[in-house]
This record gives sequence, C-alpha cells and structure tokens, in this order.
Amino acid sequence: MSKKQDQTASFMVRFNQQIFEEDGESKVQWRGKISHVQEGDEQNFTDFNDALIFMQEKLANLTKEATKDKTTEQQEGILQKSLYMWKTMKEVGPKVLMETIKDPKKQLSQFQDQIQGQISSIGEEISEKVQIDEWRNASRSDYKKVKKSINELAEQIKQLSNKIDNISKK
Amino acid sequence: MSTPIKKLEELIAFQEHAPIRIQTLGQFTIWRTGEKVDPKEWGRDKTVQLLQYFISNRRRNALHKEKIMDNLWEEGDDRDFKVALHGIHKVLEPERPSRTEPTYVIRQGVSYQLNLEKIWIDIDILEKYIVIGNETFGTDHSCAKKAYKLAIAVYQGAYLPNRIYEDWSSEEREKAQLLILSAYISLAEILLEENPLETIRLTQNALAIDPTWEDAYRLQMQGYLAKGNRPQAIKTFQKCEQVLDTEYGVDPLPQTKELMREIQEIS
Repeated sequence: MSKKQDQTASFMVRFNQQIFEEDGESKVQWRGKISHVQEGDEQNFTDFNDALIFMQEKLANLTKEATKDKTTEQQEGILQKSLYMWKTMKEVGPKVLMETIKDPKKQLSQFQDQIQGQISSIGEEISEKVQIDEWRNASRSDYKKVKKSINELAEQIKQLSNKIDNISKK
Repeated sequence: MSTPIKKLEELIAFQEHAPIRIQTLGQFTIWRTGEKVDPKEWGRDKTVQLLQYFISNRRRNALHKEKIMDNLWEEGDDRDFKVALHGIHKVLEPERPSRTEPTYVIRQGVSYQLNLEKIWIDIDILEKYIVIGNETFGTDHSCAKKAYKLAIAVYQGAYLPNRIYEDWSSEEREKAQLLILSAYISLAEILLEENPLETIRLTQNALAIDPTWEDAYRLQMQGYLAKGNRPQAIKTFQKCEQVLDTEYGVDPLPQTKELMREIQEIS
C-alpha cells in the first residue's frame, strides 16, 4: 500500500486584489499564486483556470505514480476516473468562486444543493464504470467514520451559516 | 488599558525574560532560561515535529491527540505520541519534579495546547508587533516605525524552512510571509521622506520574498527619485514591467505607470 503522504497533494492559493481606475472606470484585477506544498512548485496566475490546470497536473502525476505498476490500459482507466472530478471542478470552479465573492449567503445555500447533486451524479458514474467486485465491503467502523464526518460537516455548515447571518445583519 | 507603546515595551520585556524562547523563522532553535538548547537533547525527530505542530496550531484551542497523530504521522500510534510528548516535556522542563503538571504544554483530557503566556515564539510576536504597527500607522509614526522595526528584526527567514514540504506548516509560512511583506512596505512608506535609502533597502527585501509585489517597485522608484537617482528609478520600473509580464502577462497598474511618467518628465 502506498504511504499516506504519497497519496496527498496540498495546495496553497494566494489571491492579491488590485483595484484601480482606468479610462474613467473602476477596475479590479486578481493576481494569484498557487503552490504545491509537497513538491514546492509555484505558479502565478491571473486566470483561475490556470490554477486549476496546475492542480490537475499535480494530481494526475500523483495518480500516475500510484499506478505505475499497473498496465497502461488500467492506468489510463484510473486516470480517466481521477480526472472526472476535475472536469466538473474546472467547469464550475471559477463561476462558483465569483458568485461566492458576490453573494456568499446565496452561494452557501446553492453549495449545499450542488453538493447533493454532485454526490448523486458521481455516484451514478462510479456505479457504471468502477469494478465494484474489487472493493471490500464497508465495515461497521467505516460507517461510524462516515457518520461522524457527516455530523461534523453539518455542524461546520451550521456555524458558517450563523456567521454569514451575523455578517448580513451588520 | 495599555497604550501601544506600553504594549511594545511589554513584548520587548517578554522577549528578554521568557523562560522559553522559540525561533521558528529562518531556523528552529530553542532557548531555555536564556541558554540555547543543544539539538542532541531532542533525540527523535518526532519530538521536534510534535512541538512544531503545536506551534503551527497554537491558535486552535486544545488540539485533539487523535487528530494530531493523524496529521503528523501516517503510521504513528499512541506510544509514539506519548514518547514525543515526554520528549518535549523533558527538553522544556528537565528539572520538573515527577507527578507535577507540565508548565508549557497544557493537557485537557486528550487535548493539548501550548502555554503562550510563558513561551515566547517569534512568529507569534512578529504578528503582535505588526498589529501595533498597523494600529498606529496613521496616528503615531514613531510608534509604528518602532513596531515594524522590531517585527523585521524578529523575521530571520521563512517559517520552519526544514518543513516546507509538510502541509501542516504551510499555513503559518504563508501567513508569516504576508505579514513581513506588509511590514516592509509600511515601514518603507513611513521612511520615504526621512530615509529614502532605507526605503530602497526595505523594498529590495520585500522583492526578494515576492518579486511580483508591485507596491514595493513603486516605493523603490520613489526612493531612488528622492535620492536623485532617476536612471535607477526608471530601471526599477522596467524591471517591474518585465516581471509582471513574465509572471502574469499584465502591465503595471496605472498608478505605477503614472509615477513613471512623472519621473520621465523630470528633466
């Protein structure tokens, strides 16, 4: 089994906002920097899609590294599934980011709906393509872990909603 | 309520008298009652890692043991944690009598946190100095100047440079970098009239950390201009233009271009 560290990619993203007047109108420019923690690579960007491509490349490398002992066919299949999430992320990511900046409260409620939507559509995708036989059945402790994570997540969302409500009241 | 100057004095006194001082910026070093701790005292690297993790998460109240182990060691068990924690106690309080509560790492059930009232940590103090600098920036230049200078003196380099590939340390590293960039720029701005050479030096330091920091180029141009070095001010603009084009594919901001126009118009 691969080490946990070999299966993890962490990214630090910095956004630097520049607001300025040009040709009589106010403009805003975002200058960003994304760093891949485990390798120390960095890339500057002004288009968030470039940051997503950077992440996608790093994650693809991680998948390739973890599957190097498999056949090319198997590797490509896994890579394809691995990139499926990125297809969705790349399509909705920049839009979500902009909308969150514009209206965090509305976006939070949409997020909750979208997460539900994505979970069911990804679920369908997986059940169609992945060899379920190769999976082991979930144990009782797996269920407990999932239940605990969901509860923690729900609590965090609740706290976030409260914070947003407080900000809106101000 | 203590004034900003009083707060600065308290922080300086704390630096001098804290029983434990920890340097995380530039390198990792500990002083125990004024004496540098020999790295050999640490024994295992896991002990150092655990203390560094406590420092990185010092603002999160009560860190849960399971979470710490999960974030730090992929194959760590309870025994590893106990040994590492014991190692920390032994280094920080070698003379502590048995069956007495540790002073510096406080335990609450299965949660742990550092006692920040007794431990001086450079990254923590850096932030406190900068907060005082920012609070007095518009009202008391002398206090702001002192605070930023103290912050800059504390900053000896990147946060835990030997852990740059560990994700649990990256948040603090990023935060420290942004803090010191803001201190360089604010102090450079305050000193522009009184000491433009120092403004130039401070902006050079900022650009060494982030070569795309446009505020630093603008201040550096103003610094050279104040010193009557127009060619160098123009060169600084050209460098800014080239870096922004290479890294972002954008032009300098209108205010930077406007400054360049003003410099060019000076005969």
